[in-house]
Amino acid sequence: MAEENGSNFRQFRDGVIGNNPVLVQLLGMCPTLAVTNTLENALVMGAAVTFVLVMSNLVTSLLRHQIKPHVRILVFTLTIATFVTIADLVLKANMYEVSKKLGPFVPLIIVNCIIICRAEVVAIKNGLARSLADAFGMGLGFTTALSILGAIREILGSGSLTLPGGATSLKLVQLPAAFEPHAWIIMVLPPGAFLTLGVVIGIVNQLRYRKVKGGAA
Amino acid sequence: MKKFVEESWLILLLGVVFALMLAGAQTTLSARIRENQQRALNEAIGEVVPHVSRTEVIEIEGYQVFKCHDEQGQLSGWAVRASGSGFVDKITLVVGLSPDGERVTGLKVIENVETPGLGNKIEGEWASQYEGLSFAKAIQVEKGPPDPARNQIQAITGATWSSRYVTDIVNEVANRVRPKLAEHR
Repeated sequence: MAEENGSNFRQFRDGVIGNNPVLVQLLGMCPTLAVTNTLENALVMGAAVTFVLVMSNLVTSLLRHQIKPHVRILVFTLTIATFVTIADLVLKANMYEVSKKLGPFVPLIIVNCIIICRAEVVAIKNGLARSLADAFGMGLGFTTALSILGAIREILGSGSLTLPGGATSLKLVQLPAAFEPHAWIIMVLPPGAFLTLGVVIGIVNQLRYRKVKGGAA
Repeated sequence: MKKFVEESWLILLLGVVFALMLAGAQTTLSARIRENQQRALNEAIGEVVPHVSRTEVIEIEGYQVFKCHDEQGQLSGWAVRASGSGFVDKITLVVGLSPDGERVTGLKVIENVETPGLGNKIEGEWASQYEGLSFAKAIQVEKGPPDPARNQIQAITGATWSSRYVTDIVNEVANRVRPKLAEHR
């Protein structure tokens, strides 16, 4: 807790850029591959994961002096499962259509390793401010990565871009019907997820490599 | 015993607190979730049966059957909620029957997790092909252009199995529910 001050913003920024959970750490691949067929699904999944991350880091950080080391995983799992169930219920009550599309992937946030990883690496050792900065950073990083994939796949696969909005989803982009025969069906299918993820990670790695090289020179 | 409490009081306490939170969320939200499901079902019934102003729920052969009446109280048709296996997981749909039970008046898939972009087209425009088909003989799925005279529908390209599963559910309703409708008329 010595260097708790001053680096909260850095902790937040790392989650989004330097240490992005999906594009750099390659964690949370299950929702990344499964629900990024549309931007709407990606954003809602990102929001749900961010909520659970924040609540889990909050509870873990507050109880960090009480948690006995050998039962910590049990406490994490208990906390995560509770908030995932709450998120699932809230989605079902307020965004029924989207929650039907996400299906089992909302309950599956329980086993998303990003969340337990942040509790173990950051929240159990650090104060509230730093743990929250970390949770928001990682949550935003996860949401951003999923949204990039979702946007690419939805445009190429379905020719549209849709923002979530409860009963009235907002169409951002709708390519003309003439596009329909040329839609890449593969982009909305699982292989499309792998292809897009591979390309995006490749680009991110290229940028990081350049930065490292540039810094050394 | 003392050691047990020392080691586990936090887990026990958290268990109780979290259980209370979940119970609270469940009680506040469950009414709204049921309302959502009910509204989706009612909308589906309105789409598959023309002129519905009042419905009466009956059970035939384990199926939920909605006897639909129009504004004048005349029987305007039947809506049957049916589910069966799909390509990925269970498909639940509502199929509309004409008052005499002879024709399909509409079909709406209300729950499915078929492949996005392929199989999940069953929830859209595709289902309107069933409208007007006869219940007298089994509906068939064709990969090519369908022949309505032979009671056929055209499968979704790339999702023949999803198309077949939907048709199986409809044919099952035709076999099991339709013969018993007369008793409830």
